[in-house]
Amino acid sequence: MNMNLLCGILNKDDHLKIVDALLLALIGIVIVFIVLIALMLIVSLVGKIFDGSEKLKEKHPEWGEKIAATKAKLMFWKKPAPIETPVAPELATGTCGELKLVNTDERDAAMIMAIVADNMGVPLNELRFKSIKKAEEEEK
Amino acid sequence: MNIGQIIKNIWDNSGFNRLGLTGGWQSAVMIIIALFFLYLGIKKKFEPLLLVGIAFGMLLTNLPAGEGDMLFHSEWWTGAEAVEGGIDYVHILQYGGLLDILYIGVKTGVYPCLIFMGVGAMTDFGPMLSRPSSLILGAAAQGGIYLVLILAAATGMYTGGEAASISIIAGADGPTAIFLTKTLAPQLLAPIAVAAYSYMALIPLLQPPFMKLLTTKKERMTVMTSTRKVSKKEKIIFPILVTIVVSLLLPSVAPLLGSLMFGNLLKECGVTERLSDTAQNALMNIVTLFLGISVGATAVGATFLTTKTLVIIVLGLAGFVLATICGLLIGKLLYVISKGKINPLIGSAGVSAVPMAARVSNTVGLQYNKGNYLLMHAMGPNVAGVIGSAVAAGFLLAVFA
Repeated sequence: MNMNLLCGILNKDDHLKIVDALLLALIGIVIVFIVLIALMLIVSLVGKIFDGSEKLKEKHPEWGEKIAATKAKLMFWKKPAPIETPVAPELATGTCGELKLVNTDERDAAMIMAIVADNMGVPLNELRFKSIKKAEEEEK
Repeated sequence: MNIGQIIKNIWDNSGFNRLGLTGGWQSAVMIIIALFFLYLGIKKKFEPLLLVGIAFGMLLTNLPAGEGDMLFHSEWWTGAEAVEGGIDYVHILQYGGLLDILYIGVKTGVYPCLIFMGVGAMTDFGPMLSRPSSLILGAAAQGGIYLVLILAAATGMYTGGEAASISIIAGADGPTAIFLTKTLAPQLLAPIAVAAYSYMALIPLLQPPFMKLLTTKKERMTVMTSTRKVSKKEKIIFPILVTIVVSLLLPSVAPLLGSLMFGNLLKECGVTERLSDTAQNALMNIVTLFLGISVGATAVGATFLTTKTLVIIVLGLAGFVLATICGLLIGKLLYVISKGKINPLIGSAGVSAVPMAARVSNTVGLQYNKGNYLLMHAMGPNVAGVIGSAVAAGFLLAVFA
């Protein structure tokens, strides 16, 4: 559909007849809908392609590594980025290891540790907690 | 040296004297109208960024002056010579007043396109991309344009170009209205621009009664679920795709839509922040200054104070109402098709006027369901309306130009 076909049909300086206006309105609104529906279909298609590729990546995580390797091969002129080895977070002074929290938030854990230290009469920094787990109903 | 003669010459050349000459009353009335528009822009905050400029341009052009002192010569642009033999830009550049020179940007269509570039750089098409059906609502609201075209033809007062230019007011899109009118009916540019921008400012008053009239309480309370997340790549591809598809279909609208999409690409591509910032702020402000004052300059008494202008004001109002109704009706249809998942209130946002119309949908939605924020859902049809009105203008240009 080329809109140039419509050029010259009506003169802008002539009075617009009602019949012409009706016809023009009908064709005009149809064209607006056609163009915007075409855009809607294109946008939906592009969206589906992107969503589909994301789902595939989630389903086959190994593909992502293969793609990255292929990309690296294709872009041979780029030096590979140095592999960063994961570094464990620095522990606070006086810490003697990690505490495992199971179904317990940090605020509750802090309170529990403070209560235990107080009841035992031992300073908190002399105690070592390995794990705090919320007791479920059936475990009581 | 005769002092009396000097004083007489000063009086003869003064604007006060010219106000008493033939056509002087028209200038006086236009000055009063300009002052009224200044009041609306400054005190009532009706689209002040443009209305203040338009009103001041109107004031400047209607202050009577001698031929050599005139800031704007409307006959050079719309007179019989210009219509038959074309506009003499060399003459305008040599002898034109300040507003003549600035008006070149309107007449050549540069300002509306630059404004669109800024609009594109400020627009997030994400809500529309996440719900593509928004484009249908953006198309539906353009029904107002074509209904006004029929009404304008029914009055029997307008030529085809004039009727088409009046109808585009219903698109609620200032730059598009100016872009179309400067080609098809430049003599009506001032009333059409004033009507378009004034009614845009009145959208919060114009739309809600029809939104409440045409929807049920249950429909208005519909809570819309969040839509899919749009990736950055999609946002980059979209402006490129739209430019290709729409420009191939409607070459006449390529400057306008191309500018809108270029501005949006600057925003989304992530590597042109400085250009995007300039398009959104500095460039937008400069062009708004020039556009407002030069459009206002075209409002000269002889062409503005006519029955045609009054009818344009009425048809413009009808256009905004009809566009709102069309959007709402298709919104109701989508509500039924989607089995109550789409709130029909977002249909009225299809009338461009970004983001005012979307805010109105949100406000009305909140009145019936506290916590039901429709703003992001309404932004989809709202930005789709901008594309829709540009397409409608492209069609009218293709037919009449």
